[in-house]
Amino acid sequence: MKRSRTLTMIALLVVFAAVPPLAGRAGFLTDYWALLMGLAVCYAAAGLSLNLLMGYAGQISLGHFALLGVGAFTSGILSGANRLGLPFIVAILGAAVMGGLIAFLIGLPALRLRGLYLAVVTIALSYAAEQSVFRSSFISGGSSGMELPRPMIGSFVLTRNADFLAVMLVLLLVLWAVDVNVTRSKLGRAFQAIRTNEAVAASFGVDVTRYKLLAFVISGAFAGVAGAMYGHLYQFVNSESFGYQKSLLLVIIVVLGGLGSRSGVSTAAVFYALFPVAMIKAFGTGFHGTDLIVGSLLLMYTIARYPGGLAESMREGREKRAVKAVRKAAQAEAQGAPSDEPDVMPRLPEMPRPSGLAARKAEPPGTPLLSVRDVSVSFGGLKAVDRASLDVSRGKIVGLIGPNGAGKTTLFNAISGLIRPDAGSVHLLGQDISRLPAHARAMAGMGRTFQLIGLAKDLSVTQNLLLAQHVVAGYGVASALTRIGKAAKIEGELEQRASDALEALGFERFANTPVKNLSHGQQRIVELGCVLLTAPELVMLDEPSAGMAPGAAENLAVRLRDVRDELGRTVLLIEHNIPLVLDVCDELYVLSSGEMLAHGAPEEVVHRADVIDAYLGEAVSV
Amino acid sequence: MGQTLILGLIAGGIYGLFALGIVLVYRGSGTLNFAQGEIGTMGLFVAFMLVERAHLPWLAGAAVAIAAAAAVGIAFERLIVRLMLNATRVAVAVGSVGLLMFLLAVELKIFSASPRTLRAPIGGVGKEILGVVVSPTHVLSLVVTVVVALGLAWMLKKTDFGLGVLAAAQDPVAVRLVGVPLARVSAFVWGAGAAVSALAALLVEPTVSVFTPGFASELFLRGLAAAVVGGLTSLPGAFVGGLVVGVVEAGAGRVFAASSLPGLKSLTVLVLILAVLLVRPRGLVAGLKSKEEAA
Repeated sequence: MKRSRTLTMIALLVVFAAVPPLAGRAGFLTDYWALLMGLAVCYAAAGLSLNLLMGYAGQISLGHFALLGVGAFTSGILSGANRLGLPFIVAILGAAVMGGLIAFLIGLPALRLRGLYLAVVTIALSYAAEQSVFRSSFISGGSSGMELPRPMIGSFVLTRNADFLAVMLVLLLVLWAVDVNVTRSKLGRAFQAIRTNEAVAASFGVDVTRYKLLAFVISGAFAGVAGAMYGHLYQFVNSESFGYQKSLLLVIIVVLGGLGSRSGVSTAAVFYALFPVAMIKAFGTGFHGTDLIVGSLLLMYTIARYPGGLAESMREGREKRAVKAVRKAAQAEAQGAPSDEPDVMPRLPEMPRPSGLAARKAEPPGTPLLSVRDVSVSFGGLKAVDRASLDVSRGKIVGLIGPNGAGKTTLFNAISGLIRPDAGSVHLLGQDISRLPAHARAMAGMGRTFQLIGLAKDLSVTQNLLLAQHVVAGYGVASALTRIGKAAKIEGELEQRASDALEALGFERFANTPVKNLSHGQQRIVELGCVLLTAPELVMLDEPSAGMAPGAAENLAVRLRDVRDELGRTVLLIEHNIPLVLDVCDELYVLSSGEMLAHGAPEEVVHRADVIDAYLGEAVSV
Repeated sequence: MGQTLILGLIAGGIYGLFALGIVLVYRGSGTLNFAQGEIGTMGLFVAFMLVERAHLPWLAGAAVAIAAAAAVGIAFERLIVRLMLNATRVAVAVGSVGLLMFLLAVELKIFSASPRTLRAPIGGVGKEILGVVVSPTHVLSLVVTVVVALGLAWMLKKTDFGLGVLAAAQDPVAVRLVGVPLARVSAFVWGAGAAVSALAALLVEPTVSVFTPGFASELFLRGLAAAVVGGLTSLPGAFVGGLVVGVVEAGAGRVFAASSLPGLKSLTVLVLILAVLLVRPRGLVAGLKSKEEAA
């Protein structure tokens, strides 16, 4: 299969390089239409660029054409006859580097923060570029604009548009291939996890800020190439070539084409490059601008009705039908077999320790693993957690109970690094991790689940199992983008583990199903499988039995003991299901109004008067 | 020096007004309305038709323009935002980009890109203060800005409905419990944000005398900068942020007056936003630390 992909690429390369020049010479492709098709290729490249940022990573840029401008002017300065006069290929590479660099510089302050700051910064960039930077005499020759040369092969200059179109198509193919590599690597999974849920991404070890920035930098490099192509195609650019409105048009292209869909976005880009011209040709200039009116209305409709993009909703429809069919078939096949009960958790697989992690010292059970000291968290004036301390020893299952609003999940978030406590310390394996961000704590050996399921719910089960192995995907960005070096080999290992886990969980038939289409109990099983996949030192579970049938909860108790006794993991568990807690826990902590109320053996703790008073309400009879 | 300060404050008051609308939508809906500026431009075109073409009094034209702007804001909320209760806030913001593009395209279609002029609300030459000619419109704009800001602040702090607006994005359940319907809060912030934009555009317009499609979107960017300076969630912060942006912009224009680089003001805005995000991401005027932000 890999081989066929490479062959397809080579075949396309040859076709793209050969067809336009031949068609041009044979008279099938006039210079005018070649120019228009060149514009379409530019838009497609720009669309891929914005799609990578918006469709994959869920961040918006409203000034993307400014980055195209950066590419065009850079390329012009590098290759221009009266500028540096460097070869075309150097100019294109320079445009990519500069596009990425500017993206890095303006993305760094904006992407550390959550929310819409990147949109704000990119609007500002768009105006600053159009009105100031691109008009400076050093960069563009001031108001007169800048001329860009066509590339040369030997002494042959590609003055014909059809000839240059071939070059552009080849460049687009390169961008396309890189984009495919992004989606097939940990980068694409990290981007999509960030788009779905930043906290979940971080708990799987994804450095959210770094990956958001990476998405913008790659997107900026793509934009640089797209802009350079635009410049060399028209052989002239000025500050007005890269205005705010074009950036907005690009947003329309990406949303209508379908967020995250390469082919959809490219199609929409080609349409928006060719359609207005064709309509004006057919119906006269009265049609001018109508494409934008229709496009913007469609954008509002599409985003309101199908916020994930048209492509996604189509894909989803297909998959939902497929899941239904699979369910029906499974029911018909094995009537009444208890193992097909969706909520019942199968025996969890013992996965070999991932090769990317350092070999663990064989420490005996009972040695201290997690130590939380005097942690306090407040929101505004409200103290959610007040000087709470707890210890977890290796090889134990430790329960954390308390009434709703006692601060259990907040304490969990403070331990796993999702919120920064006002005071207190957290030590894992004797190492102070109080200052580490969530993703670094995941790397240090913490795995956790969430009350509302800590998975990237838009992604398939397999994709989640791959995402969960982010901490052991030890290859670099360059290798991921080119698929040269370690990336291919390591991805192969990850895929193998994912498919082993699928099999062990008995979820093969849901391999490509988006997690959100599974039942709650099934999602819970996948989540646990994901967390255990990288064998974390400490497994933190936030109400795993919530929403499960009573029978399933008993089954859960068995599996939790498996996790402790057979997989040798340590568990910290938030639970409301007291019978389950009494059944599996070695020790129990009770949190009430943010303060640690009691600690001890489960049987003793639940019979203490203050615990009954604060939480249980009545004596527990066991 | 004094001249720069006065010019900066006059411009900054307008930016502050835009920023108030931005913070209002952000507090009430948790997102940004990127069309807000262009709704202001649309208001200008409405006023232009009524005042310059139909020869109605300025006040009547302005009133209809503000009402039309509010109507567009409310319509967008009803037709689009309300469908997106479960969508991400980013998706809602992208929807507002659609509205921005729509308004721009319609304005270009009807009025083309040629510059139009709307007369000032009050005639007269004005007085010279510290070497700057301050027109009656300047004074009016400052007064209206302060009045609107104080009025909004009173409404938000002292009425149940206002408190509902302030809490809507953070704690929708609590808002419902106090008996404030969320749907009305949402309609209010989108409508009021749009109306404030139109008001701001009408007040700034005479100082630069001409406008084209896209005119107020450029001012809206300054409003965004002001809101960021103020921390995005704080109303006083937004207003002060507006003054800061105005003064910094005017100051940069003065300091680099000899520079050959064109469009320095827009470059200043970019640098200012980046600097604030880098140094004081919660805004120069510290905003609220909300539960959601912390989690």
